[in-house]
Amino acid sequence: MVILGTIIVSALVIMTAIAPWIAPHDPAKTRVGPIREPPSPQFPMGTTHLGQDMLSRILYGGSIMLQVSALSVLVCFLIGVPLGLFSSYVGGVFDRACSLVIDAVYAFPGLVIAIAISAMLGRGVVNMALSIAVVYIPSYFRVVRSQVLSIKELTYVEAARGIGAKWYTILFRYVFPNVIPSIVVVTTINFADAVLTAAGLTFIGLGVEIHIPDWGRDLTSGWAYLSSGAWWIITFPGVMIILLALGFTLIGEGLSELLNPKLQR
Amino acid sequence: MMEKIELSIVVLVLIGIIVSSGTMYYMTTVVDNLSTLTDDVSTLTESVTNLTSTISDLALIMSEGFQEYAEAIAALTARLAAIEAGLATKETLIVGTTDSVEKTLDPAQAYDYFGWCILQQIGGTLVSVEPGSPKGSDFIPDLAVNWSSNDDLDIWDFNLREGVTFSDGTEFNATHVKYSFDRAIALIPSIPEGAPAGLGYDAIIDRTEVLDTYKVRFHLKMSFSPFLGILASRSSTIVNPQYAPIAQINHTTADPRASTPVAFAGPYVLSKWNRVAGRDVEIKLDANPNYWDLASGYPRMAHVIFRFYSDAATLRLAIEAGDIDMAYRHTSPTDVLDLEDNPNVKVWWGTGAAIQYFCFQTKRAPFNDTRVRVAVTAALNRTAVCDTVFLGLSDPLYSIIPPGMLGHTEAFQKLGDANYTLTTSLLAAAGYDATNKLVFDLWYESSGHYPMSAEQALMYKEALEGSGVITVTLKSADWAGYKQNRDSEIMDAYIYGWYPDYVDPDNYAFLYWAKWIHTNYYNETINGLPNPSYPAYLQQVALYDEARATTNITLREELYAQIDEIAVEQCSVVPLWVGSGWAVTTPPIYGVFLDITQDMRYWLIYK
Amino acid sequence: MGLRSYIITRILLTIPTLLLLLSMVFLIMRVLPGDPVALHFEKKATPEQMESMRRALGLDTPLWTQYIEYLGGLVDIGYILEHGYPNLGKSMQTFEEVGGQIFSAFPATLELAFYSMIIASVIGILLGVISSKSYNSILDHLIRGVGTVTYAVPIFFLGIVFQLIFGVYLRWLPTGLRINPAVDPPATITGLYTIDSLLQGNLFKFFESLKALLLPSLTLGIILSGIFIRMTRTNMLETLRLDFVTAAKARGLKESTVTYGYALRNAFLPILTMMGLQFAILLGGAILTETTFSWPGLGRYIVDRINFRDYTAIQGAVVVFGLFVTLVSLVVDILYAYLDPRIRL
Repeated sequence: MVILGTIIVSALVIMTAIAPWIAPHDPAKTRVGPIREPPSPQFPMGTTHLGQDMLSRILYGGSIMLQVSALSVLVCFLIGVPLGLFSSYVGGVFDRACSLVIDAVYAFPGLVIAIAISAMLGRGVVNMALSIAVVYIPSYFRVVRSQVLSIKELTYVEAARGIGAKWYTILFRYVFPNVIPSIVVVTTINFADAVLTAAGLTFIGLGVEIHIPDWGRDLTSGWAYLSSGAWWIITFPGVMIILLALGFTLIGEGLSELLNPKLQR
Repeated sequence: MMEKIELSIVVLVLIGIIVSSGTMYYMTTVVDNLSTLTDDVSTLTESVTNLTSTISDLALIMSEGFQEYAEAIAALTARLAAIEAGLATKETLIVGTTDSVEKTLDPAQAYDYFGWCILQQIGGTLVSVEPGSPKGSDFIPDLAVNWSSNDDLDIWDFNLREGVTFSDGTEFNATHVKYSFDRAIALIPSIPEGAPAGLGYDAIIDRTEVLDTYKVRFHLKMSFSPFLGILASRSSTIVNPQYAPIAQINHTTADPRASTPVAFAGPYVLSKWNRVAGRDVEIKLDANPNYWDLASGYPRMAHVIFRFYSDAATLRLAIEAGDIDMAYRHTSPTDVLDLEDNPNVKVWWGTGAAIQYFCFQTKRAPFNDTRVRVAVTAALNRTAVCDTVFLGLSDPLYSIIPPGMLGHTEAFQKLGDANYTLTTSLLAAAGYDATNKLVFDLWYESSGHYPMSAEQALMYKEALEGSGVITVTLKSADWAGYKQNRDSEIMDAYIYGWYPDYVDPDNYAFLYWAKWIHTNYYNETINGLPNPSYPAYLQQVALYDEARATTNITLREELYAQIDEIAVEQCSVVPLWVGSGWAVTTPPIYGVFLDITQDMRYWLIYK
Repeated sequence: MGLRSYIITRILLTIPTLLLLLSMVFLIMRVLPGDPVALHFEKKATPEQMESMRRALGLDTPLWTQYIEYLGGLVDIGYILEHGYPNLGKSMQTFEEVGGQIFSAFPATLELAFYSMIIASVIGILLGVISSKSYNSILDHLIRGVGTVTYAVPIFFLGIVFQLIFGVYLRWLPTGLRINPAVDPPATITGLYTIDSLLQGNLFKFFESLKALLLPSLTLGIILSGIFIRMTRTNMLETLRLDFVTAAKARGLKESTVTYGYALRNAFLPILTMMGLQFAILLGGAILTETTFSWPGLGRYIVDRINFRDYTAIQGAVVVFGLFVTLVSLVVDILYAYLDPRIRL
């Protein structure tokens, strides 16, 4: 599973990376062909309603999704993990307050928050990533916290405390390494969710500007031309988004199975 | 080119092969023994058999109950068929729309297309534009039978129709006219977003005087020739004082009679109006039993029912399926062109009056330089946008006054379309060339307030950059943010649209210097320095005021042409395109008028 | 701790959560660029007009006063009794009562959520059980594959594909709205069309609304079923290995009796909890589903209103969403506590 997921993801990453050398057209250029041309030898994936080459847009279009998801995962990681570590290690009122806030966010439909924040920040990759990150920080926090609470009481941590190690030494040298496996799983799932949320935000109209090729945007704008029979404008980007999200999900599921020996028999 | 296509196909195929071989590898390694498959299938069949036996038991128990249901269904279907048949008679018109009334049907506030449309069906004005009037300047009597004005065009007299009653039976007279206008003006301070404020009633009308039971006089603050146009607009709908308090707007609730000053004097009355979450879900109009023109056979249909679709695609499916008699406002250009080939529906084409225009922020570089504005204007490609984005259903516009209307010219043709020679030479003079390009932000609205904004912006960017001396950065904001940006004047160049309040060039020409567009073109000084465009602006306003004060059509045309001429030299606001109107019906439907007023007069439609 | 005190503690704990949610949304809305007052004016407005509008909307007072007033309105019992919904303020764009708007839209979301939940649990539990029974076989992998793929499909894409197949090509089912627009909606009793039409004995309208419900709830249900499959499978696998199941098998009970009668009943508790947890995800998905299917519910209302910076409307919708999610998880927790006394300790 992990291997399959990795293959899919890296294939898509490579495809996006080498797009400038292999794409037959400028993906944003309008009227390179007739409008809404069905797939043909000249335009293997057809053209959009503005006569853009669909194939080139597919090749280029993953970069926004990848950037957004990578960035949001990074932000989540950088905030969620230290916060979870610290809060659960310190405990007490601070921990309770943090948990309360995090639980409130966690209990709420994430997309609503993402939409509100996205509308507040405006368009762009960074803003999109931030609004997605806010929604997923709680997952990191909760996972880390539950792990730390059990690790904290283990003998070797007690021992480290006993020999007078500083709190940050204990946290990062003794506690953190034990949390890593769970974080890795959350991270990959987060990647998949971020891709889907980014597509959702674009669908609602909070995506990137129109001159940047993006699968999410093509999927959304193709919707209006469905009743005229132009299936190719939404199908190809849709399949690509599914592939990308599937790749991440497979990695995540595979890892969690490897790391969760409960189900090995 | 073909090589690249082949190359990319090869890459895609490779990815496909990698992915599928990965899947195969995975499947074969995990599933050690294919023979388990048969076991699985047998277990599955077993569970399915279990399930079916349970279901059949259940079915046995419930079959009695179902029998009762079946009888009930039969009875109901028969009854419903009767009702449906009743609806399907020639008495009812079912209209599908994607519109919704924005806030209210009170003429002192309503300022949206659909609100005005419903108001027109249920309300009466002193005069109306004759259906099909080519320039929208032929007026016919409505609640007034005849009228006159003095030579200065600042005193207007109207003789009212006698024997008209409101739909609740109240007799209509001159006091109602005075009341309606007094109320509209009195409410302006508290409802500055309403139509009377937008049309400037307080700036135009000084006072209204009752001369006799059926005679009323308007004293205007200025000589104003388009006054009839304003009187024919929806914000001049005569209200019934009983339902329209002088100091208060009526807002929407489920009960139309409690929420709108409905006792108007139009061909229809509002009999049902339901809203969910601020959107219409049900509107029904019934013929007004007291309508003054019943004798001539109007309204032609006893009932009009509006059905609300949330997007153009669903509306298209509905008209194709025959669920509705008429789809109006709005099927998309793509869909309407598709539907034209469909023999089961009829597409009606009409004159459009909705326009869009390009605005420049003139208070700072680069667009404080008139040459730069003209250069950018010359590089625009209206034709490409109209052909590609609107599929030919919009026409390039070279004057702020749309074609079909008095005073329309082709002035901006002078600068051409994608006229890069002019662009490069002008920009060279202003200090820009291929190495030192002109760089600016082009903003568009992103939440669907205007049709296809993003696509248009993309094509303008492409055309402008095609000159080789311009770099455009696209930026966007949703309607709320866009308006805020406009008012805080942070956008270099932006696209706006206009929809007429009344059909007269007077309602268009001022867009060149409208203060609410915030171009700063109209200011005497900019950043403490004299504005070089200011004399041109003064000249335009003088011409505009002169055109307002005359009914001489030749003179007015001449004056508006001069305003356009100056606008081409200044390029503060640049006309882009004018849309066209269309409606789709399932035959046989007759009496659809799609003229330049953009009004849909449902009382003229018949089957 | 007894069941009663557990319930009371649990209810008390939801209050700070809700308050927190409310405050966050209140603040987020206040920092959004775009002034609701300026949005009122199509053209220019004088500063005096802006000021009077600001006063009329209650935006002239300090932020904390607005906040306190808002909270006060929420718990105004007299208002609730009079209108049947809490005072959530007036919409900043239409001046309608936000409470009224929301409660007219909420049944649509509720109906969608309810049917999607049914579809998701039926598909999820059935496939999950089958998959666990045939552990590590092709069938198991196939079902797990399906579960994984549903997790990766953007919800609106699935919706669009359904629209394309069943709405555009086959013309079997409507592509949007709660009921065929050619039919008058049933008179409002609960606001749930299927229930209202049944209560009024109108089967025609019942089937019409069911037809309209099918595609959106199927879309949402299928997307959600992936998680259900996974959870059911995992729990069943654990239960099937427990002693009493083995014992039951050893006693020679029928395979299906063991699976459904013993194991599933035991695995049901964690599944129930998960159903409660999924409600937040379900409502998030409902926003996209509603947009795809022109479903006039709360999700679409929020998306609509953000463009107008209608603070009160969005706040209200978020509060109702939050309240709903909290209530569901409260009920699930209490149910869990009732079924499994260990949790109360």
